[in-house]
Amino acid sequence: MIKALNLKKTYGEKTVLELDELCVSDGEALVIVGPNGSGKSTLLKILAGVIEPTQGSVEGVEGLRYVPQQSYAFKRTVLENCMLSAEGSRKEKQRKSLEILERLGLSELADKKATGLSGGEKQRLAIARALVEPCRLLLLDEPTASADVEAAELIEDTLAQYKKATSCTIIMTTHSPKAAMGIADRVLIMNKGRRAELGTPEQVLRAPESAWAKSFIAGWSLDEN
Amino acid sequence: MDKFAEAFGYLFSLDRELVQIIGVTLKMSFFSTLISCLLGFPMGAAIAAKKFKGRRTAKRILSTLTGLPPVVAGLIVYMLFTRYGPFGSLNVLFTVKAMVIAQVILITPIVASLSSAVIEGNCRTIRETAIGMGLDGKKTFALYLTENRTALFSVLLTAFGRSIAEVGAVSIVGGNIQWKTRVMTTAIMLETNKGNFSFALALGIILLIIALIINIGASLISGEEPCDD
Repeated sequence: MIKALNLKKTYGEKTVLELDELCVSDGEALVIVGPNGSGKSTLLKILAGVIEPTQGSVEGVEGLRYVPQQSYAFKRTVLENCMLSAEGSRKEKQRKSLEILERLGLSELADKKATGLSGGEKQRLAIARALVEPCRLLLLDEPTASADVEAAELIEDTLAQYKKATSCTIIMTTHSPKAAMGIADRVLIMNKGRRAELGTPEQVLRAPESAWAKSFIAGWSLDEN
Repeated sequence: MDKFAEAFGYLFSLDRELVQIIGVTLKMSFFSTLISCLLGFPMGAAIAAKKFKGRRTAKRILSTLTGLPPVVAGLIVYMLFTRYGPFGSLNVLFTVKAMVIAQVILITPIVASLSSAVIEGNCRTIRETAIGMGLDGKKTFALYLTENRTALFSVLLTAFGRSIAEVGAVSIVGGNIQWKTRVMTTAIMLETNKGNFSFALALGIILLIIALIINIGASLISGEEPCDD
């Protein structure tokens, strides 16, 4: 179980995250939603160990894969990029990489230089690198942000399949109601660095308790799922 | 014009001494560049990407050492390796080895400082991506270097250029001994003092040709392109 206690992150005078407690069970998928600047990415970066919290602690983070919002492609081919995070012999790495690239619609670009990919393709490559080996914890920061409709669907389907096939814990931030409803066991709505709502998708997205969460959810078309 | 003609005469006749001087120069420059880069690249990467106590001080010391006068570096090596110095028993003074040591002292801070500036540009992104891929520290460190290989190659060429053009330190610790430690720069200095301008000019021309080859190599490898569309 992942346990974050009394997390606080400040930059100078400004507090960007203040979370008293957050527990995520093994194999659970938690989707974090909220407006820009609500602290979603900061929380993910702290969980990933990319930044240190100003205060508080995180326990139980092991065997993680993290896909940041801005994906970086190494100066190699798409296949070589993916092979970097694969394990086993060279042949095995190649097989595993081609398999995940195929699933994410990138197999035709396998021999192309990854630096020449579009933003959406780079994001899919980053997801491929994260999913090429099974992991215990998968952190995804807006994985469909730069993707077009088709690519977003492909990513969402891949993630949903991955969740079903593995016992991996997933924590994902998104602005997409479809992604939130499709994968989440629980949804956390954040506002100004704090928890606004936490519960099952049905509870939180269809019948939020607070007035702010109600107005935030109001803009979402939840039935498109 | 006569001097130029004589200089080219030296070049085309492949004068034995000239060839030997070029050989010593290239050997010294090659090894000093190689050692400086082997030390300087990891040092630069560590300063750019690692958080450690005294990082800022290390950066300042490095910046200061980039301006180390060659004669001071030569003097330090001389004092260390002179017969009664702490490493006198090694008998390396007035050999190419001593010249390489002096060059390494001079060039390593330059290599470390420049490579640190290069790696600083993208080390955060690389680190974040590597964490996300579950890569260990060693692999992440290797990525800092491989992802910046083009810029680091330019640093290597700068180091080689600095090494081949150095005169102060190598003349102190090498002694400019004929057939042994005489390099192009010290030979140019000596021949100019002797009034043998054509031989000095021939060496100068070779030095320029080597510099030109280095620059062409650098632009070919870095894929330099004009800015205008």
